[in-house]
Amino acid sequence: MNSCAESLTMPRSVLATTSQLKVSGLAKRFDGCSQSVFSDVNFTISTGQSVALIGANGAGKSTLLRCCARLIEPDAGSIILDGEALSSKSGSELRKARNRVGFVFQKHCLVPRLSALTNVLHGNLAHRSGPRNWLQGFARQEDRGRAMDCLNQVGMAHVADKRCDQLSGGQAQRVAIARALMQDPKMLFADEPTASLDPQSGDDIMELFSSLVKVRGLTLFFVSHHIEHALNYSDRILGLQERQLLLDTPSQSESLPSLRAFYA
Amino acid sequence: MLERGGETVTSAHKANLSVIGDQMPVRFERPSWLSNILCALFLLFLLWSMSSAGLSLSDLLEGLPNMATIAGEMVPPATDRAGPMANAILVTFQMALVGTVIGILISIPVAMLMARNTSPHPIVRHVARSVVSFFRTVPDLAWALFFVASVGLGAFAGTLTIIIDTIGFCARFFAESMEEVDPGPSEALASIGASPIDRIVVVLLPSAMPSFINTSLFSLEKAVRSSVVLGLVGAGGIGAELAVSMEMFRYDQAATIVIMIFVLVFAVEQFSSVIRNRLLRQNV
Repeated sequence: MNSCAESLTMPRSVLATTSQLKVSGLAKRFDGCSQSVFSDVNFTISTGQSVALIGANGAGKSTLLRCCARLIEPDAGSIILDGEALSSKSGSELRKARNRVGFVFQKHCLVPRLSALTNVLHGNLAHRSGPRNWLQGFARQEDRGRAMDCLNQVGMAHVADKRCDQLSGGQAQRVAIARALMQDPKMLFADEPTASLDPQSGDDIMELFSSLVKVRGLTLFFVSHHIEHALNYSDRILGLQERQLLLDTPSQSESLPSLRAFYA
Repeated sequence: MLERGGETVTSAHKANLSVIGDQMPVRFERPSWLSNILCALFLLFLLWSMSSAGLSLSDLLEGLPNMATIAGEMVPPATDRAGPMANAILVTFQMALVGTVIGILISIPVAMLMARNTSPHPIVRHVARSVVSFFRTVPDLAWALFFVASVGLGAFAGTLTIIIDTIGFCARFFAESMEEVDPGPSEALASIGASPIDRIVVVLLPSAMPSFINTSLFSLEKAVRSSVVLGLVGAGGIGAELAVSMEMFRYDQAATIVIMIFVLVFAVEQFSSVIRNRLLRQNV
């Protein structure tokens, strides 16, 4: 929470000076496939930047994002996250390194039978293991308060005691973002966070991301099929095509038609 | 013009159909010659089995008067030994309850060793699966005879039998339900560095809980029914009373026991149905 308070007073120009994520020579080929998904991917994301990753279906966007957190093991390359080499870590060290990255998925990936508050509390498992963070009923008063605060930030405090299988897609995605906030991450990865939502809910979610990134000084790396979202909510756009990272450009210098051409 | 237009559309449609015709899937797949042979062999085996099973209409008709006599002797049901019988039915239920609860508690960790997504190693998984499969495939009467010979006559042998039977049943279904849980939430927590134990407790167990509850309650119903039969081989409970009544031709007493068994099984089924609905609606 301190980092949040500090970032509120920190200008974005100051935040965007150090690298948060550095990827070098990343390559991935799945077993049984003759061609690699991508190879020799290099990019750096600076602290406080919002970066969109675009590309056609099957271009390997989600695979690249997952490789960056080593949810999928890359075949080659190095990943430096917040100054630490993620590629050389394993077991508990890898888990510890991951706790700085919040992940929001296309499908909210909440536990359906548990309440929204309990699901948000699970964000704490990034830092502390054990029964105190399994169910909201067992949680410390301070953590319950923090989880409610995270729900409040995404406008979902009123559904705290509702089961997640009773929420709409947009509400569930907001709760998933609240879970990521509970983790107090330095960086947020989002894998097509609006893909299963209607256009209005999708815009609302991207607005929410945008405001959280600004208020909390988070670094955001998101995959999207919506070119408008990439243009409106990112500082920079990366594009995967033909197994290569062929686009790396500031979003201000791009337009809708030029990005559409990238899909052709 | 319309006619010409109509003709044009029809001919284009026909041309399209002839192109599509090659790609149109057949309505039904013709069974292969191997399938036909296997079906024929199965039918032959079924006919042979029917003769080996001793199906006989004449025997059934000859037995009908005996059935009527026994049924007549069952009415009215005797109440002279109602006290000991009530006690025996209570012991039967207690055996089933204790055996099922202990069996379920053992089944949860065993299922974790068996499930593909929680087992620590493939060898551990195969060993656990084989042991549980053995528990399940040996009939409960065989287990009861084994435990009666090992620990003596009485309720303890019956309870041990039910524990083994419950593990064989519940561990398998618990493991399958854990394997069917959507991996998304677990992956989401893995991505932020949550430990495997945390992921099992907060994702797998709550997600598989409806199936756990259904399996456990069904297991209790099954245990109540099987604990009745276990008494027939000396493993305690109402079964022993039933065996004695039948051997002494006290069909009126047997009728009382059958009614008691029906009431017990019906009550357990109703109770488990209510509990199932309440637990599945609960918020946590």
